[in-house]
Amino acid sequence: MHIVKQLMAIPGVIAAGEYAYRGDRFSYEGALTDEFARMASILCRANTLSVNMQSEIFDSFSENIGCRPVQGWIVRGNKISICAVGNYFAFIENRDELLNDVMVIMRAKVGDVQDDLLANLYARLGGDTNEALY
Amino acid sequence: MDLQKMMDLPGALAAFTYSDKGDLQSHVLREGTELTPQVLDLLARSCVANLAIAGMEARGWEAVTGQSGFQPLKGFSMVGLEWSVVVDGNCGVVVRNRDADYEATFNAVQAA
Repeated sequence: MHIVKQLMAIPGVIAAGEYAYRGDRFSYEGALTDEFARMASILCRANTLSVNMQSEIFDSFSENIGCRPVQGWIVRGNKISICAVGNYFAFIENRDELLNDVMVIMRAKVGDVQDDLLANLYARLGGDTNEALY
Repeated sequence: MDLQKMMDLPGALAAFTYSDKGDLQSHVLREGTELTPQVLDLLARSCVANLAIAGMEARGWEAVTGQSGFQPLKGFSMVGLEWSVVVDGNCGVVVRNRDADYEATFNAVQAA
């Protein structure tokens, strides 16, 4: 089952989606409008690139400490949390055990994010990733 | 704040406190971990920055979409390859991914 459909089958998951490229290529399911899903995709891509940049700084201080490549991030809100792993995101309610369940599924389904994050994101477009990037 | 108690969380590798500016103030490291106080200091600084950015995004998201439920923020986590750092307020915990209980860890740093 596709990861977005699998996530949406869990009670308490508000919306889930996939983004690529500049964050403006996206697909999603759930309680978001197209415009809000576009904004969410851009926000998730920006945060993902930011934590990847930070992990490279950590790595320069102490190599192979188990941080890189970063798999994702979580913002824990008052009643809603956002989980991002690889190029997938999920908006979820703060219910008991839901965060753990969602993170287990996302990490298991997305797998280890490749070392070159940009190549990973561009690869979702298809075609020659190296040509698009370099 | 009892950092030793934080180390009882599933998969805990380190627990630390930091100032509002991100200066590392106190820490506990599990024996054998490759994390160092220097890395924890960097982590603390990045976490202060990430919490601030997440706060800005939460406020903006709620204002633009009308969707409430994000504010006040209850924490931020960066999920690395082998471990995650979970922070809120002035406290953070590093947990091994395969053993991590994110909910318990978020609850612990909120209560700290």
